[in-house]
Amino acid sequence: MAVRSIARAYIITSLRERITLFWFLAFPLLLLVLLTFVFGNVGNSVRTSFDVTLVNFDDGRDARAAAALAGAMATLAATEDGTAPLFVLHLPPVDADRSAFLVSELNELRVGRRAVVVEIPLGLSASVDAAARGAASATLAVEIHKSGGRTGSDMAASIVEHVVAGVDRSLLVQYGLFDESRTLRVERLELGAGARTFRYVDFLLPGILLMGFFTGGLFGVPGTLLFGRERRILRGYWVTPLDVPHYLAGFALGHLGLCAIQFACVWGVARFALGADVPLWRPLVLAALLFAAMTFLAIGFLVAAVARTANGGMALANVVNMPMMFLGGLFFPIGQLPGALRAVMLANPVTYLADLLRGLTGTAAPVLPVAASVGVPLAWIVVCALVAARRLQWDVSR
Amino acid sequence: MTAFRALLRAEAAVLRRDRASLVFTFLFPLLFILIFGAMMSSVGSTESTRLGVVVLDGADRDVLDRVFAGSVAEIRHLASRAELEAAIDRRDVDFGAIWDGVTLGFAFDVRRTQDNFVFDELADGLAAQMDLALQGRSPLLASTVRIAGGEPDASWLTLVVPGILAFSVLSAGLFAIAGHLTSMKQRRLLDRFVVTPMRPTTLLAAIVVVRLVVVAVSTLMTLAVATTLFRIRYDVSWVRYVAFLISATLGTMGMGAVFTLLVRQPSSAGNLANIVSILMMFTSGIYFPVEIMPPFLRGLSRAMPLTYMADAMRYATGVMDMQDSDFWLICGAFLLLGLALLPGLARYIVRPLRR
Repeated sequence: MAVRSIARAYIITSLRERITLFWFLAFPLLLLVLLTFVFGNVGNSVRTSFDVTLVNFDDGRDARAAAALAGAMATLAATEDGTAPLFVLHLPPVDADRSAFLVSELNELRVGRRAVVVEIPLGLSASVDAAARGAASATLAVEIHKSGGRTGSDMAASIVEHVVAGVDRSLLVQYGLFDESRTLRVERLELGAGARTFRYVDFLLPGILLMGFFTGGLFGVPGTLLFGRERRILRGYWVTPLDVPHYLAGFALGHLGLCAIQFACVWGVARFALGADVPLWRPLVLAALLFAAMTFLAIGFLVAAVARTANGGMALANVVNMPMMFLGGLFFPIGQLPGALRAVMLANPVTYLADLLRGLTGTAAPVLPVAASVGVPLAWIVVCALVAARRLQWDVSR
Repeated sequence: MTAFRALLRAEAAVLRRDRASLVFTFLFPLLFILIFGAMMSSVGSTESTRLGVVVLDGADRDVLDRVFAGSVAEIRHLASRAELEAAIDRRDVDFGAIWDGVTLGFAFDVRRTQDNFVFDELADGLAAQMDLALQGRSPLLASTVRIAGGEPDASWLTLVVPGILAFSVLSAGLFAIAGHLTSMKQRRLLDRFVVTPMRPTTLLAAIVVVRLVVVAVSTLMTLAVATTLFRIRYDVSWVRYVAFLISATLGTMGMGAVFTLLVRQPSSAGNLANIVSILMMFTSGIYFPVEIMPPFLRGLSRAMPLTYMADAMRYATGVMDMQDSDFWLICGAFLLLGLALLPGLARYIVRPLRR
């Protein structure tokens, strides 16, 4: 009875605190939605428009290559279905000095008002024509000017390079140098997801769940214990028949209950709002999640045992939070890390739990042996429990 | 002046003794650089890509070898499709190619969602070259990329470091008022100050000076680590750098003052500042570029002061070019914000906690 009361009190108190609600529920959900919206689109066509300038110095009547390229660029600047075109094309006014226009547009590019400036040099078509007739390889090239340090400019330049490659192919065909019927067949094979469609949110969801459990354990546990101790709330318990083991059992139950609420919310949003398809409701996966929650609960107790004051505990939690989270591969796969960081990664229980959970849910191929994925977090639980049993003070005066 | 000097000494001593604050101010940006630098320095690059290749019986291996040579860091020839799939699964190779003489198949691990766009691009390029090579052709129409302004070899990390510096300035400014001053209020330290002839603006001036020194030292340390460890080159304009630090610190302190007045409990100001700064960090193009965000997030990022701070810092460090007048406009706006809000709100924020 006492255990259940403590658990209920823990959950209710946590849910009443707005700051706890933010970090425990709002922040994981926000991160899930934000990262899904941002990285879920990487490599796909993001609906965006680039300001692109085209300065064509080669616009004579026989300038076939230049005309083809200008036409292809104009196609991308055309509006479809009322949506914004991919390129907002800036062309020199009729009778304008094109060299002066190019200089002014390069200045616009430099300060970020243009994504890319495409320059078709005079004689480009003649050079392509000569190359097509076998005289020599083309001596002139389309100049794509982009701005350093701007991702938008990199993206636009990459699109223009694709446009140039497409025009090149059509020119080869027109010159009779390329047999379209013998075009190479290219296939794309997707491995690793079985029959289902795999999306970024599927990779992200286990990481966000673990992050939520991790921050909950790291901040929630020492926060509740140390502030409870400093504000003499814990002392109130000790004057009742409640003993420490029962309090601990209730505390742990409450914390796991809070993790369950968090899990349900994050899973619900990921599944129904973002379309995630991760098999989380399997017994082994749920057991891994429970194991993770217990590991982070133990780490929370370790922080509470090591810190002398509540503020000190929060500061310590803050210091270890970021390295453990980012060096555990929660959001980004950890690649080849150098010496010291690799040591931190290998000692970090988050690394093993993330690998275990992703392996069990099929969202990433496990790279660590299962024995290590279970053994290392288990060792953390044991060490944390031992340190907490020896050092954790349950009252300010003791 | 005596009061100001005394407060300056006191503020410096308080900061020196506040280990948590020192850790956040000096260690966090360094940790960010070290972790992200080591983890993400090869993001978007194909320099370390390993390609597994399977050439099936009867297919022309020479043309494939000729086209693929030098396109990736390592090409590993495998005997069968099953071997390739196993190698991809174990991450021994990043993606694979299967060539049967007619069809060129590229195999990707769909679970590597963040890497696949780079591998896709690479595969597209290889397929196009292979297509031409099979008919004995080379491109007629070539293109050359030229850089106009900004850092020509800006990697992901080159862009992120000035963003982290801007975020450090934001945090230092916001928490100077919304964290440090409210903590003084909560610990009843202000009760003692306000019974002296000290003017509220004098205390704020002392906090401003100490924070400016801290921000300058912290950002310089971070910049030094980034340039030394990760060999990133920054062409810093020191005049603009200093002007930005002063104006942005003052401006963000002004914002912190507003947060302090928006909440009832002094401790809530720090929480509010924490939440707002985290939200800004993810929506202002610090870790991932604004350009890859969906339209509504791009719109949101334009409303975030940190977006302009990061752009100004990138300009001051030579990573990105911008109109000089735009840079000074950003600095002017932050300076104005600080100069208008701090003295104006001083008497409301520098007052003891109501009992």
